[in-house]
Amino acid sequence: MRRITIDPITRLEGHGKIEIFLNDAGNVDRAFFQVPELRGFEKFCEGRAVEEMPRITSRICGVCPTAHHMAATKALDDLFQVEPTPPARKIRELMYSAFVIEDHMLHFFFLGAPDFIVGLDAPASQRNILGVISQVGLEIGKKIIEGRKRCREILKLIGGKPVCPVCGLPGGVSKALKEEDRAGIKESANYLIEVAQLALKLFDDRVIKNKKYLDLISGDVYKHRTYYMGLVDAQNRVNFYDGNVRVIDPDGEEFVKFNGHDYLSHIEEHVEPWSYTKFSSLKAIGWKGFIDGKESGVFRVAPLARLNVADGMATSLAQGAYEKMYDVLGSKPVHNTLAFHWARLIEMLYGAERMLELAEDPELTDPDVRNIPTEAPDEGIGVVEAPRGTLIHHYKTDERGILTDVNLIVATQNNAAAICMSVERAAKLLINHGEVSDRLLNMVEMAFRAYDPCLACATHSLPGKMPLEIKIRNKDGEVIKTLRR
Amino acid sequence: MVLGIGNPILSDDGVGMRVAMELKSRLGKGYFEVKWASIEGLSTLDEIAGYERLILIDSIKTGKGKPGDVCKLSLRDLNFASHLSSSHGVDFATAVELGKRVGYKIPEIIEIYAIEVEDNTTFGECCTKKVETRLPEIVDEIMEVIKCA
Repeated sequence: MRRITIDPITRLEGHGKIEIFLNDAGNVDRAFFQVPELRGFEKFCEGRAVEEMPRITSRICGVCPTAHHMAATKALDDLFQVEPTPPARKIRELMYSAFVIEDHMLHFFFLGAPDFIVGLDAPASQRNILGVISQVGLEIGKKIIEGRKRCREILKLIGGKPVCPVCGLPGGVSKALKEEDRAGIKESANYLIEVAQLALKLFDDRVIKNKKYLDLISGDVYKHRTYYMGLVDAQNRVNFYDGNVRVIDPDGEEFVKFNGHDYLSHIEEHVEPWSYTKFSSLKAIGWKGFIDGKESGVFRVAPLARLNVADGMATSLAQGAYEKMYDVLGSKPVHNTLAFHWARLIEMLYGAERMLELAEDPELTDPDVRNIPTEAPDEGIGVVEAPRGTLIHHYKTDERGILTDVNLIVATQNNAAAICMSVERAAKLLINHGEVSDRLLNMVEMAFRAYDPCLACATHSLPGKMPLEIKIRNKDGEVIKTLRR
Repeated sequence: MVLGIGNPILSDDGVGMRVAMELKSRLGKGYFEVKWASIEGLSTLDEIAGYERLILIDSIKTGKGKPGDVCKLSLRDLNFASHLSSSHGVDFATAVELGKRVGYKIPEIIEIYAIEVEDNTTFGECCTKKVETRLPEIVDEIMEVIKCA
């Protein structure tokens, strides 16, 4: 038996990469962000019974299992032409709210907060959750862990398991909630509202009231004028589970609003020779390259995009926080990438308030949780807002329900062009005359960290996280510096 | 407890689960509880809290060994900076340290057995042939460890 020490880069085929090319003057010529590829998913699915998809797709991503499960379940509703019963719809949305709350909470405290709360100048070894807890206190750390535990309990109660749920069925869910479950869900919702408010206060105290950070958020290094996309309800308010897909232009005007079923008329995919990722763009404009502005088909998804496309939030506390963000940042839409962190916390608060509304809904415990499908399957499309943005599942089957075609458009693909642009812009503005410090490279990383992109979903192999490698190359393409996270 | 982790639909990524399943059938009920799951980071804490000793079985791809080789690791071996580039990345060592600070009862003895894999990026329910053929000896090797416990 060998004994080895793991370097993060030892998983040679499984790391994200940022490659920065310098010119003669030592300034940035181009920068690329690349992620590894998972292969053969469509082939893996074809020939299987379509009812397996909510359980299969939940294993694509170690972070977003519930988003894939829900998009797949909604695609089955569409495929079998059956609506979920009202109680089933509410149970699904309750589970989905718990999932988004947990994801947003962990992203902020584990990924966003280290840069702001531990600080840009702190050593990399301290810019992590342990450093955050050292700064804000163990009691807050315990609240985060307790909040996560409560979300997990709701996910387990409804989904059957805390990860990779198994409850979604065409036309409903597999199990009704009992009246005795209600009190615990309400108590957890109230607890999570408190945690969300605490996180927003922390953001306000440590980030917004700190001129250095506010300047960073509202400055030019992390800014792109793009289109935005997200689901909205009938009143154009943010909705994670259902609604129409709304797109606004960089000036904030509605560009198009469409039913998710028509996504192929509005979204196209572009391929670059240097990346496995497909880059989404707006079909009506077309792919014009990695450029922003009204003439470019590049759009963004995820928390800030959802708030930008919406006319407001559907709950009162979140609405107040939403108004404050646009008031402080001074315009709508907000184009500043680091504001994704702020928007994420506002969405966390919305999710917790929505959870409480659902917990108080008398219909939540109605045992009528399934409409049995009677139609022959053919084609189905399901759309949800994953924490990282608009997620689309599209299946085609034969008349027996055996899959013949699968297409997924995942959130990171929708943001992929903007992520590359953000990384390149930050690199160009921060790296000058060949000066490449770890601090500056961390600030380049911040450009993509705000999006929380999925780096090759689903691989769980040790060391248990997706390593990132940053390479700086000189004008001759030679590597002059390598940084590994 | 023995915990095998991995993704059962990503070829060799699921080898930790496969080994745990085999161990359970060999060990039956007894001194060790044997579980398997598709989890990572913080979720692992939920499974391991409260046990005295943990034998964790996972996959690894170093490119330095043959597929099916078993490496023994400790938490100290996971010695890279705990800086996270994605929320996919709450690594096990950070999760354990966090768990200790917030009051989880973490096993006092943690041994990690990492199985070198060939392919963990292609969707498939089976391990690659190279790993599959070595499964019995991998299970034997870890059984020996458990017997000595």
